[in-house]
Amino acid sequence: MAGSSAVLSDGSTLSRLDRGLEHLERAMAFVSGLGAFGLMFLAVVSVGGREFFNEPLRGYVDWIEMAMPLIAIFGISYVQRNGGHIRMDIVVGNLKGRALWLAELVTTFGILVLMVALVWGSWAHFARSFDFGAPLWSRDSTIDLGLPLWPAKLIVPAAFGVMVLRLILQLWGYGRALVLGLDAPVAVPLVQSAAEQAAEEAQHIQGRDE
Amino acid sequence: MSSIEIGLWVTGGLFVMVVLGMRVAFAAGLAGLLGLVWIFWAKFDYDPDRFGRAMGIAVKTAGQVPHGKVASQALSLIPTFILIGYLAYYAGLTKALFEAAKRWFAWVPGGLAVSTVFATAGFAAVSGASVATSAVFARIAIPEMLKVGYDKRFAAGVVAAGGTLASLIPPSAILVIYAIIVEQDVGKLLLAGFIPGMFSAIVYAALIIGLALTIPNFGPAVRGFTWRQRFASLPPALPIVAVVVIIVFFVYNPFGDAWGTPTEGGAVGAFIIFVMALIHGMRGRELKDALIETAKLSIMIFTIIWGVLIYVRFLGFADLPSAFADWIQSLSYPPMVILICILLAYAVLGMFMDAIGMLLLTLPVVYPAVMALNGGEGVSAADSTFGMSGEMCAVWFGILVVKMAEFCLITPPIGLNCFVVAGVRPDLSVQDVFRGVTPFFIADAVTIGLLVAFPAIVLWLPSLA
Amino acid sequence: TEWNVSLWGKRRAFTEHIHKLAELVEEKTDGEFTMNISYGGLSKNTENLDGISIFAFEMAQFCAGYHPDKNRAITVLELPFMGVNTLEEELAVSNAVYAHPAVAEEMEQWNAKLLMTTPMPQYNLVGTGDPRDTLESFDGMRVRATGGIGRAFEAVGAVPTSMTASEVYQAMEAGVIDTASFAQHAHLSFGTINEADWWTANLNPGTVNCPVVVSIDAYDMLSDDERAALDSSVPEAIDHYLANYGELLDRWDSVLEEKGVEKVTISDEELARFKEVGGDPIQQAWIDENEAQGIPAQELYDLVLSTLEETRGSN
Ligand code: NA
Ligand code: NA
Repeated sequence: MAGSSAVLSDGSTLSRLDRGLEHLERAMAFVSGLGAFGLMFLAVVSVGGREFFNEPLRGYVDWIEMAMPLIAIFGISYVQRNGGHIRMDIVVGNLKGRALWLAELVTTFGILVLMVALVWGSWAHFARSFDFGAPLWSRDSTIDLGLPLWPAKLIVPAAFGVMVLRLILQLWGYGRALVLGLDAPVAVPLVQSAAEQAAEEAQHIQGRDE
Repeated sequence: MSSIEIGLWVTGGLFVMVVLGMRVAFAAGLAGLLGLVWIFWAKFDYDPDRFGRAMGIAVKTAGQVPHGKVASQALSLIPTFILIGYLAYYAGLTKALFEAAKRWFAWVPGGLAVSTVFATAGFAAVSGASVATSAVFARIAIPEMLKVGYDKRFAAGVVAAGGTLASLIPPSAILVIYAIIVEQDVGKLLLAGFIPGMFSAIVYAALIIGLALTIPNFGPAVRGFTWRQRFASLPPALPIVAVVVIIVFFVYNPFGDAWGTPTEGGAVGAFIIFVMALIHGMRGRELKDALIETAKLSIMIFTIIWGVLIYVRFLGFADLPSAFADWIQSLSYPPMVILICILLAYAVLGMFMDAIGMLLLTLPVVYPAVMALNGGEGVSAADSTFGMSGEMCAVWFGILVVKMAEFCLITPPIGLNCFVVAGVRPDLSVQDVFRGVTPFFIADAVTIGLLVAFPAIVLWLPSLA
Repeated sequence: TEWNVSLWGKRRAFTEHIHKLAELVEEKTDGEFTMNISYGGLSKNTENLDGISIFAFEMAQFCAGYHPDKNRAITVLELPFMGVNTLEEELAVSNAVYAHPAVAEEMEQWNAKLLMTTPMPQYNLVGTGDPRDTLESFDGMRVRATGGIGRAFEAVGAVPTSMTASEVYQAMEAGVIDTASFAQHAHLSFGTINEADWWTANLNPGTVNCPVVVSIDAYDMLSDDERAALDSSVPEAIDHYLANYGELLDRWDSVLEEKGVEKVTISDEELARFKEVGGDPIQQAWIDENEAQGIPAQELYDLVLSTLEETRGSN
């Protein structure tokens, strides 16, 4: 389903790094999906335990709160890789060539600024909940079971760190396209029209490789 | 510069970034972050030596939001509702529904489009997310409509508009979000969405029939199904009914105590469909695909949620919401005029914002103002402005707002459903889908007008509970 | 000086002292020192201490039980069956514990200074179905209770079920839980009283401790006049709170009557048995666990009991 992304590849270093990072990102997104799947089972166990054994799942809410960052954030970089975060494309959709790559470069740089700041901020958020001297290293805990919160908080800077790497690759890709005046650069998500153009070319290249 | 002026400047900057094509979630997050830096530095009187400190406070304040806001039991409904949609696709339920709708309804003018609307309405009863519904039906219904000669843009528009039904007909992630923001009974709201959702579907169908009767070569009726074929199409779609019954009984049991919370109902529904998908032949590879698709859509929605909430956090420090509430309450127009203006404002705002972001952003401000217009939270129907108790007004306004939020899923320039349909179909640009969905604006305007004029459409069912 | 104050929910008996404090401080400084009270706009309720520590806002309220690992020392005030009976006693023990150096030190790690407490009555149960007034009847009971109170019920065979406060009404209606433990104002604002058949008048298993803190940096930055205005207003604000909550408690019996809720009284023998199983062992476990982490737990525990005795002696 919607698996074919509009990201081109070739044998360049940039493209190899792109695909290498994509493996990691896809695995992270899969873990996010597994989390959602686990959530379903958690609720079924909770309902079943309560209705049939009068034994509801202790700390149901605590477990959900621990799992949610994994589901909602862990795979964020995979979505960015494929251009899956929504945007308004009436302006960029009508740009072509260098003007397009410049616009992409500027907005991607803006995202990089935000994500670097958020790696710092979410790391600080994690660090406040973490204490090497405390039992389970915990200085912040959930309401019911008292589970340590730092692992869930650590997910955020980890996922955002991968996102920063992805943004650097995308800046490289757009920068290269801007300097060289490329039509269909590798390692960046292409807007629809450009992607269509490039699809033919990509098929061409693949045909020769195999 | 006052903090309210800072708020307005940053809001302007946010719109510029969005128009330039920056991904919306990050534009909101960046605007919020920069706004926080500004606010905290202003507090230090713009002392250059203390800029670093102000920035540190802003970054740490923003850095709390992604984990803090996402780690919530209430929002855990969103991935569950999305998962249901994708599992139902692999359980063959979407195909079965579309097939049944085709055999029963395709004989009318504009038949396949009408069938698509009713199939999405049926699917809405198991799916809680509008975007997921559109994504799934873009794969099934568009090819069939193209085969019999529909304009591809209109075919895409039908699917984009039909998908919005999923958020009115329970289960609905967005109704849950409304209930959480305004602290009202989730169950009553879910019940209240049912009739307006079906009502919207009928208005859509009427619009399509009207278009088919007036425009030549619009899309032919598909005839020739025997009654035998029609009835044969029902059993494969029946499991939908079972899931609907389960979810309804979790929300509201007409015969006694409900079975549990809506959160649990959603998860149990998902589990049943998961088992059906296994029986229908879903294996490891398909499950993995479904999980990755669920993750992608969930992450996209949650990124908007925390991104917008960084911006909302900045608004909180800028004190903009209370300034707005004061302003609304100072207006001296008739309450109904103000209510209609609020709905129109949602239509305009909805053009630029995604539905969830819009609700998160506005409801903390708008909801108390509307309740005050009606005469307060505890007002009785007899003493109220709109002729309904405070509790019922919360339900009524909730359905109106959610219908507006659904409307914004199909309006340009940012209409999530249209993006998703265009994303699934590489042969369609976003602009194509927006063009195809335009006729449905009229249908939605009619529906909203009727819901405002006749609140009983909304309130009849919850008043029984 | 303008301070931002981070609270959550909406204005209610639970936040009246803060509004009074803001009013008094503004009055005493002729409008020089104002407080901008925000309900949820500045932070999430479980992250108010984080916000104080990064200096995002100057004053905040939080509850110890939301995150015991952030504030281990004051969780002594949330232990079950400490024998606190009135709001005045709750106030006295809180003030005594807040004044202890170990508590102040722990709060300093968050750059926070305890300003005042939010005295809450004992969390009693409202329930549906037949009244539960013996230990045996608690067996298998599904109860919404957190922290030390939850552990106390667990010790007698009840099943604590967690959920956010705003979901409690729905959960009672749906039969997910049979009972919920809250202070009276919360039973009213969360609507649990509307679903209830009975209320335990004297179970008094414990309560939750919710201090109001200020940022140490912000406090130090105040002018002498402003600081004096703030400090001197605390007792008045607390008096206002007690009077306001007192009215609510006076109304409580008529609320019960109006809603047709039965008032259940539990016999002294049953209470003693409950304390034996659900109080003493949990108290002892808390002391052992926290002593092991270098917190003067025994001292804090003794302080609560001795303060209680003193308070009763002086009346
Ligand atoms: Na739905
Ligand atoms: Na829109």
